[in-house]
Amino acid sequence: MAGNSILKHREAVLAALVVVLALGTSLINPNFLTLENITDLLKANTVSGIFSLGVLMVIVSGGFDVSFTAIAQVTQYAIVLLMLERTEGNIYLAILAAVFFGIVLGLINGAIIHYYNMPAIIVTIATQSLYYGIMYVVTRGRQINDIPSFFWSFSNAKVVEFTSPAGGTYGLSLITALWFILAVILYVFLRHSKLGRSIYAVGGSRISAERIGFNLAHTTLFVYAAMGALAGLAGVVHVSIVQSVIPSSIVGSELQVIAAVVLGGASVTGGKGTVLGAFLGVLLLAILSNSLTLLRISSYYSNVFTGLIILISVTANAIQVQRQRRQRVRVQIDKA
Amino acid sequence: MNKLYALLARHNASLYLTMLAVFALMAYINGDKFLSAYNIGSMAYQLPIIGLLSVGMMISMLTGGINLSIIANANLNGIIIWQVLEFLTGPGRMKEAGTTAIVIAILAGFMVSGLVGLINGFLIAVFEIPDILVTLGTMTLIGGLNIVITRGYTITGFPASLNWIGNGQIYSIPVPILLFLLAVIITSVILYRTRFGFSLYMMGANATAARYSGVNLTRVIVAQYILSACFASLTSLVMIGQLNSIKSNYAESYLLVAVLASFLGGVDPLGGFGRIGGVLAATVILQIISSGLNLMRMDPFMITAMWGAIIIIIIFAKALTGVIKRHWQPTSQSGK
Repeated sequence: MAGNSILKHREAVLAALVVVLALGTSLINPNFLTLENITDLLKANTVSGIFSLGVLMVIVSGGFDVSFTAIAQVTQYAIVLLMLERTEGNIYLAILAAVFFGIVLGLINGAIIHYYNMPAIIVTIATQSLYYGIMYVVTRGRQINDIPSFFWSFSNAKVVEFTSPAGGTYGLSLITALWFILAVILYVFLRHSKLGRSIYAVGGSRISAERIGFNLAHTTLFVYAAMGALAGLAGVVHVSIVQSVIPSSIVGSELQVIAAVVLGGASVTGGKGTVLGAFLGVLLLAILSNSLTLLRISSYYSNVFTGLIILISVTANAIQVQRQRRQRVRVQIDKA
Repeated sequence: MNKLYALLARHNASLYLTMLAVFALMAYINGDKFLSAYNIGSMAYQLPIIGLLSVGMMISMLTGGINLSIIANANLNGIIIWQVLEFLTGPGRMKEAGTTAIVIAILAGFMVSGLVGLINGFLIAVFEIPDILVTLGTMTLIGGLNIVITRGYTITGFPASLNWIGNGQIYSIPVPILLFLLAVIITSVILYRTRFGFSLYMMGANATAARYSGVNLTRVIVAQYILSACFASLTSLVMIGQLNSIKSNYAESYLLVAVLASFLGGVDPLGGFGRIGGVLAATVILQIISSGLNLMRMDPFMITAMWGAIIIIIIFAKALTGVIKRHWQPTSQSGK
């Protein structure tokens, strides 16, 4: 119960921070709180948003993954090559193939981590360089610019559309809606399904989870496979936004996504974390970098602020946990 | 037979055998090119950078932690040296700096890097925040500061006597390798012969037991991260000399290699075990492989893929030796 209230409190603080930052920025630059800027902002962060859902599951299960960007990159390259080979390709086929390919790569991670009982960070550092290195060697780092046109229509599709006074159109993108729908599905899954609950149980205590009767292998393999599937999907979304395959364009952003999820209250020791928290974490970092641009603060500072926010938020969280633990100890003494 | 096995295991024999095998293999493939004085010399210059970073990483991994900020800290150290030299000699006249100015600059570098280590250790120990989060935060923050201070430029023109640390010779032995060996010897003494070193291993094996035995965990963790940060400073001194320049993000790809070297060298990622000799042997192995592959004109990304493959091979090999050991054990017990 105590852990729950900490998370709720944390989400409220994050939401407040997001609102304050947004209002503060719009006071100085009124362009910020326009529907156009916000939908653009969401679209630009859809890739991180989809990643963050997988990272959340991995972190809640007590695991860690730095290879998901490499999975997205490799999948993206493979899928675009595949679609260029076949003339009758379409976006559904691309997404299906990407998700399948991502699951395979994710399962490799999960299998090594579970069956060889190795720290996830070491395994995923290894598979990251393995996947990425092999892709680079096979493709010689060649950039692909002639992307099939259905990718463009995919990222350009809108669920709700408006016409701006200047004549352009804007609105909620289909891909952003996809991110939101996946988030809602994950929310329901984590709260109400047995497998979803097992992720929290395994992350909280592997031994207890096993004794209750959860199958550790199933949970671990599922979590990394789901991370792979979401990474594959994110790879397709990324190429449809960027409109070219640049072999080094996704790898390197993994720690940023992990930071956003941790900011949202997920605990790297496992067992804690919510979809809403991860969503707010992604949103906060996105708004922060967007405000810096709108406030004409040099983009050089963006990492400084990101680092500061990570440190302040994890420290604040740690202080709160410590205080709560101390109170719990006191209650026990009183009863005795 | 068992005694022999124990003796071999205690002295990392498999690592030294691997080292010889890899050396022989690379010498066989590349022939005289590999055994040439030029290649051996260039290996001796490159080894200290990977070596220093790996030992610094190993120190943080002895308690089951990880120091992600070590490379950002090394670059910060170089930037501090540059700023202090410019301050003492005037803008653009860094090359004319005298010995006193250089010594002051180096000491300032050590102090600032040490301060970063202190902050890492303080946050980890006092607030009980996982190492990976704290150092992720400081890595992002310092990386950002490095970009802000250098504006992303490469800074060149360091005084020759400072560069001597990275590229000089004493009796035709490269100075960086002497510096590296000296640092290794001092660190061995600290790890194996002092109370601090003993506490560090004990804490890594079982933090609760260490606390009840009267070890001040806070002090040990803070000292551990300061020591780890000192290796960032030493790396920076070698890098300045070899590249005659500094930049906000030099050697970023070595983060993975440093973790790999520690792991290959027998450091348990969960903490408590790991000898400096093993890490030393591991860095030599990695250097031989990377130089050998370079001579074969192998794609640099092939080498990245290779690092990943090596970690996975070690994981499989460890599982295999576990199986073999289990088959050995019953006979050894009946022998008693």
